[in-house]
Amino acid sequence: MKLLTCPLNGPRNISEFTYGGEFHLMPDQNKTDARQWAEYVFFHDNAAGVVTEWWCHTASTFWFLAERNTITDQVIRTFEASEVFSQRKAFSVIEDQA
Amino acid sequence: MTTLLRRSQLSRRHIALGAEFEQIGDTLLVSNYGSSEEIAQAKSLALIDLSTLPRTGFKGAGATTWATSQGVKIPERPNLALLQKDQSLVVRLSYHELLILSNIDPLSTQIERLDSMAVGPQTYTLPRADSHCWLAVTGSQAAEMFSKVCGVDLRPHKFANNAVAQTSVAKASAIVVRHDLGTTHCFYVLTDVSAAEFLWDCLIDAMLEYDGGPVGVASMRELAAEG
Repeated sequence: MKLLTCPLNGPRNISEFTYGGEFHLMPDQNKTDARQWAEYVFFHDNAAGVVTEWWCHTASTFWFLAERNTITDQVIRTFEASEVFSQRKAFSVIEDQA
Repeated sequence: MTTLLRRSQLSRRHIALGAEFEQIGDTLLVSNYGSSEEIAQAKSLALIDLSTLPRTGFKGAGATTWATSQGVKIPERPNLALLQKDQSLVVRLSYHELLILSNIDPLSTQIERLDSMAVGPQTYTLPRADSHCWLAVTGSQAAEMFSKVCGVDLRPHKFANNAVAQTSVAKASAIVVRHDLGTTHCFYVLTDVSAAEFLWDCLIDAMLEYDGGPVGVASMRELAAEG
């Protein structure tokens, strides 16, 4: 069985994890246009090489990030999302001016 | 006559095995299955259903701060458990998530108190009594039996008392907590309540080659009292 190291729980069988998609910083929803938002929500780079991805340890529902080489399927490192996000992402709303 | 006492999801399994029940608080637990060998069984390898005992949980960035203000002692890091003054067990599942399990004798008073309170800022209640079933696997052969159904090494020298593993047991996501009864190894297993019968059957099946089987809480009491 292939192993993946969860930053919270340590090495676990890969069957305990769920893939969560490519990691991209969310654009500001108040400044982006529909095309950019659709790019963020629906489309993926699908790059050949080292990419950063979301993974979830299913048994603890712990979401974290992994750097993985998509050519060799080697996981370079896994790390907590707190390395990227220092605070909860707030969705600020601009009041309708119309 | 209909009883209002809380019964386990595994009640039908217990009745079929000839269980004698006892009332603890407002719940029914299996006291024994009528065998005179249950203590010896529990020391070797046994399965116990604790699903009707009180338990609760709290989650959120303010959860540990709020729980501390309520007199709860917090384990120093995630995946550790800590025994409380009222003999309940606080399991820290992540930086900001706690699971609290009652003892049998006495039943925890703290759990009911915390459940009835308004929680602090950035703290969310996470009721666990109906979401999870709660089994205990006891005995010297428990870790070896687990190696058939769980990928984490639970042998005593690798998995210390009060260690916690959130992992897969018989392909069901589970929380495993080692909480020894005196000198007897004991592992709590909590999994989604919808998998209660599945997990019970899987563990009974895995125990067969070690002559393991179900016992009641009377045996747990004896083992805990032996120290």
